[in-house]
Amino acid sequence: MSVSKDRIGAFLFLVFSCAYGIYAWQIPLLPTEQGISVSASTLPKIYAVVGVVVSLLALAGSFLQQATRPQGSSGALALGRTALLLVLMVLYALMLDPLGFLLATEVFLLAGYLLMGEYRPKVLFWASVPVVVVFWLIMTRVLGIYLAPGTLWS
Amino acid sequence: MIEGMLTGLSAALSWQGILYVMMGCLVGTFIGMLPGLGPITAIALMIPVTYSIDPSYGMILMAGVYYGAIFGGSTSSILINAPGVAGTVATSFDGYPLARKGQAGKALALAAYASFSGGTLAAVFLMVAAPLLAKVSLSFWSADYFALMVMGLTAIAAFSNRGQFLKAVMMTLLGIMLATVGIDPSSGAERFTFGSSDLLDGISFLLVAMSIFALSEALSGVLRPDGKKAPAPSSKMGDLRLSKEEIKDVAPVIGRSSILGFLIGILPGAGATIASFLAYATERNLARGEKKKQFGQGSLRGLAAPETANNAACTGSFVPLLTLGIPGSGTTAVMLGALIAYGLQPGPLLMHDNPDVFWAVIMSMYVGNVVLLFLNLPMIPYIAKTLALPKPLLTVLILFFSLIGVYLVSFNTFDLYLMVGFAVLSLILRQLNFPMAPLILGFILGGMLESNFRRAMMIADGSIAFLWERPLTLCITLVSLALLLVPLMDFLRGLKRPAPEAELSDNL
Repeated sequence: MSVSKDRIGAFLFLVFSCAYGIYAWQIPLLPTEQGISVSASTLPKIYAVVGVVVSLLALAGSFLQQATRPQGSSGALALGRTALLLVLMVLYALMLDPLGFLLATEVFLLAGYLLMGEYRPKVLFWASVPVVVVFWLIMTRVLGIYLAPGTLWS
Repeated sequence: MIEGMLTGLSAALSWQGILYVMMGCLVGTFIGMLPGLGPITAIALMIPVTYSIDPSYGMILMAGVYYGAIFGGSTSSILINAPGVAGTVATSFDGYPLARKGQAGKALALAAYASFSGGTLAAVFLMVAAPLLAKVSLSFWSADYFALMVMGLTAIAAFSNRGQFLKAVMMTLLGIMLATVGIDPSSGAERFTFGSSDLLDGISFLLVAMSIFALSEALSGVLRPDGKKAPAPSSKMGDLRLSKEEIKDVAPVIGRSSILGFLIGILPGAGATIASFLAYATERNLARGEKKKQFGQGSLRGLAAPETANNAACTGSFVPLLTLGIPGSGTTAVMLGALIAYGLQPGPLLMHDNPDVFWAVIMSMYVGNVVLLFLNLPMIPYIAKTLALPKPLLTVLILFFSLIGVYLVSFNTFDLYLMVGFAVLSLILRQLNFPMAPLILGFILGGMLESNFRRAMMIADGSIAFLWERPLTLCITLVSLALLLVPLMDFLRGLKRPAPEAELSDNL
């Protein structure tokens, strides 16, 4: 039997709602909130309960309904490439402060294009260096936004 | 009111106003044309740009992007049968057959005329309806607002695709839950921050919008490659002109579809998609004999109806945004977030406190429609060439613009990590066929929902009787209940039937 996408989705939301609820019940009641009807935790608690009810309903529905066949999964290449792009985004966030905008972005764009299968040197150059420089000029010179040079160099 | 209109007109017709609307329409058309990227992504990508300019111009720019994106979606529907936006799916039914017959030019011209007429007529309706509604909504209490927001949120779930109702509810709830992260504005209590100082201010709406739309749409394209290459747009455009008989034939269709589209656009949750499908179905039912047979084979009526209706609906969706401060669609929700970021309070007082912004947006709609007609139409063959732009480059550039757009607002790399997290989450949710638009709507409305609930409870001395004490609140509450119960009953009744797994879930 195939597990339908609906069932996985409903189950994930049930787990999330439970976790949300556990934290909602831990929101401290501040002294100023004593005796008032709606505190900081009131609505989160209600949301958690509604979330649990809705996901249980969806879960029950997915069991009663005839399961639909899951659509063909995406290939390993596509999955690997997506995962690498996500890793690259994390690396970009890591590089941005130490390397500075110009260098970090240049590296990000080049690595991204290579990951996506673009190897022609001319294209790699024209789609990265001018983009970074023009963007940097617009930000710093036209819009007056200060982009700090990397902490490595200063 | 006249004074406000003139202020708006002068802003919209100033050289900056015209420049921004032109830029918006062009960028919007470009992004809207790319299959997979919709108006929400287009607008989200523009938000960081608008932060540095005057709010009225910022709104003008975003409104331009909105119509541009819908128009761009029509172009790719007609030329390559790949609607970039769900709202233009109905356009491809007759638009693509026309293009196959070598009449792409005529189809695009008709789409532009229909969009222009629908958008302009709806802008006239908006000009009349918005001030009236704003006046009425001045008498609204917190209780009414709370009930209205609940209605807006239930409506978006109720209007979602068949079999998607509970998923839309879950996504709305997820959005509302995410909105509770950070310091509670009323009491000062920390909620769901897990001791991180980066989360004290909550999660910014721009970050959520960029991650779940721009980032995840771009990554979805990598994850689920189309397999087949999109057919190259035909280089032969054909004649752009329409004959007198053809104009006579479609004129009444445009009139009817404008009114229908505008009215549907006003309804929270129903957007351009529902309007375009309904207009198409209505015209097909109204047509007789030979005309009816042409539908699906390249009927001009079949093209004009959805094109008019989706543009009219886009304009209509501004009514609740500008007058009540309650967005009816994912796209207007993103605009609401931008308005709040400007420090403006959308709602009935917007017309009174910031007439420049209010009227500038309405007036810019006329300018935007003219720009689409006279600037975009002649440029279509050239813009269409960009469809051939290498996808690898485009994907990486979209990732870069999304990340840097958020970074340039906060200058905090923590936000980038959070974006990656949200992108992964929404990729998973998309794979599981969850719609994304309800999430952003819930996220934007979550904060307002809570503050209005608290105020209403305080006024009512802690009793939830406020929901039915005043006739107005009672009416809204009953409508919300009906919106919730009808699809729920439908869901319970349909348990025995196999579930349809809808593809186009983000119908906004």
